[in-house]
Amino acid sequence: MTRAERTSDASLRLSPATRARERLVRGLLLFCAGLSVLTTFGVIAVLVGETAAFFADPAVTFREFFTSKRWTPLFADQSFGILPLLSGTFLVTAIALVVGVPLGLMSAVYLSEFAPAGRRRRVTSLLELLAGIPTVVLGYFALLFVTPLLQRVVPGLNLFNPLSAGLVMGFMILPTVSSISTDAMQAVPSSLRQAAYGLGATKVQLIFRVVLPAALSGIVASVVLAMSRAVGETMIVTLAAGQRPLFTLDPRETIATMTSFIVQAATGDQPAGSLASRSLYAVAATLFAITLLLNLVSQLVVRRYRERYE
Amino acid sequence: MSRVLGREERADPARADRPERPDMLDLGGVQARRRRTTERAFGAAVFVPVFLALALLVTLLFDVVTDSFSWQVIEPRNSGQSFSFLEGFAAFGTWENVVRLELLAQGRTQEEVDALLSDPEARRVFGARNRVELMPWVDGRPLRWFVTSIRDDGVADLPLFEGWRRRAELLAGAEPGQVVLLNAWLDLGFLAKNASRSPAMAGLLPALVGSLMLVALVIVLSVPLGVGTAVYLEEYAGDTRFARLVELNLSNLAGVPSVVYGILGLTVFVRLLGLGPVVLAGALTLTLLVVPVVVVAAREAIRAVPDSLRQAAYGLGATRSQVIARVVLPNAIAGITTGVILAVARAIGETAPLLVIGAAAFVPRPPDGPLSLFTAIPIQVYTWVSENDVEFTHVASAAIVVLLLVLGVLYSLAFYLRRRYESRW
Repeated sequence: MTRAERTSDASLRLSPATRARERLVRGLLLFCAGLSVLTTFGVIAVLVGETAAFFADPAVTFREFFTSKRWTPLFADQSFGILPLLSGTFLVTAIALVVGVPLGLMSAVYLSEFAPAGRRRRVTSLLELLAGIPTVVLGYFALLFVTPLLQRVVPGLNLFNPLSAGLVMGFMILPTVSSISTDAMQAVPSSLRQAAYGLGATKVQLIFRVVLPAALSGIVASVVLAMSRAVGETMIVTLAAGQRPLFTLDPRETIATMTSFIVQAATGDQPAGSLASRSLYAVAATLFAITLLLNLVSQLVVRRYRERYE
Repeated sequence: MSRVLGREERADPARADRPERPDMLDLGGVQARRRRTTERAFGAAVFVPVFLALALLVTLLFDVVTDSFSWQVIEPRNSGQSFSFLEGFAAFGTWENVVRLELLAQGRTQEEVDALLSDPEARRVFGARNRVELMPWVDGRPLRWFVTSIRDDGVADLPLFEGWRRRAELLAGAEPGQVVLLNAWLDLGFLAKNASRSPAMAGLLPALVGSLMLVALVIVLSVPLGVGTAVYLEEYAGDTRFARLVELNLSNLAGVPSVVYGILGLTVFVRLLGLGPVVLAGALTLTLLVVPVVVVAAREAIRAVPDSLRQAAYGLGATRSQVIARVVLPNAIAGITTGVILAVARAIGETAPLLVIGAAAFVPRPPDGPLSLFTAIPIQVYTWVSENDVEFTHVASAAIVVLLLVLGVLYSLAFYLRRRYESRW
């Protein structure tokens, strides 16, 4: 870092007023940077505090929370087993990954290995547009276009179902998978490519035996990140998958996810401090923990991949 | 295509065991041709997702736009007359002109109408219960003014294409007193009207103003924060432990689900600070959400400013803050602006955090300050879709078209800026 080694202000002969001003600017900027750290601490403090209060309630036990298959905090007969919400989230995420990962990887191979420069730019812009569509619009599309279409093909498909939500979400995560994987594939050194061609490899062989294995960690990172986005996605599932916590892996049933429960509970009139309102924080804490873990894993994988080529 | 490909792949290991003749001896060019075919098939196969993505985008736009039109058979509570575009059009006061025609058509005398229109209270009541709309097609005639009333009875509502196919049948089947019309749900009246429980009268104005206020506040709050953080990281911090902490923190914040930000906003801004679910609380929540976007873009832009410029400024005796204010930031402004535009686009479309902090579903009037209750376009879309009513889905799609148009303008601007200033150095 050459910039960091620059002569520090202190060694220059500055007037006290100038020096004070410089210090003030530095302080202000430091404050800005610090605020983002404060945000994280805020999130963690809020979640941990309210979740602790939730578990401190005699009506709730850790064991019930993680093993019971009934989630009915908003009913008179309260039961707090998060499994139905986890299974719902898992179901939608799995469908989204099944759709989004192969498509994302294929488009990454296209962008990195086949597309001419001009078209690469246009396709990238197209994918960015796709990523820029508000998720509430995608939820509308899943509920009012995809579901009626699927109901003609899939017998017994509910109006609210994780299948169409997952399908549309697959397209939502496609750009994430594609852009990070494209970067990883393009980072494969050209010496490797030339060596493979020199050995008589075809382009297809080159892709499967050189580019994909060499870019593997980047690809894995992109998939993990996409998974984290799918787990945290809210509006598509709230609109299209329903709000009925059901412990099932049947993609035709109406389900609820962690995120759709949060919206449901927050838009209802739960008095602050009630057990029902605190259950929202417990769910949010679980969600936060899962996505944080996924993000850390993806960063860890990326860091390893950086070491290999720089 | 993929099946062909699979066979090629499975054949590969066998070929590795038993090396075939090198291409030089491939006299008929059979292998070379096969290779080329495989390669082309593979190239076509990996293009499929791009095509699918494009198809999805086009289908979505098409669906939303066609859903914002519908054929309706209604039983109007007023005269049921419509007026041709020229007849009703008056350069100033078309609304008044059409209302006058409508009242006359209801059988009132000229004096009564004049008296009614000059009484502000009567005008207000009429305006709250009726809406003057320019319909593309009414009773077989194109482009006509029509006065809808809050008490009109809907008899049928058909999608754009189905209604077009069956328009003759609809006209023939309409009973006396019923009107067949093509309703364009997205019109100027939609943008100018306040919220309503009746789909025909529902407007986007409160949400539009709410979204604009949110965005204005988000820009005011997130630009200094985001750019400040970026400048600190790039120009001051170097490789300190604090800088690495901030960096790690930012990349993790970018991965936090937006609904969790909503919970932070609900707990801290709405409850702890006691703001309530007002515009300011929404803007603060969205600011936390978009600051990482601004920081990433601003850092990239600042990094792209060549060091030679900085050194030259230092050589002229500038202090560090002068270098930043007069050299670094002016040269990074295009990249920073792009980042801010993308952040704004994100903030405009964000729904979940605002729902969680409790932005109201029904706000009768536009908010009049940062401390009033509010709604935003995506929230309106959500509530209208949740109404589970076919007419409200048309209203929702009209709102989506507005939302997508706004986003389209923002993205074009961002793409333009990025391309224009991409390789300045």
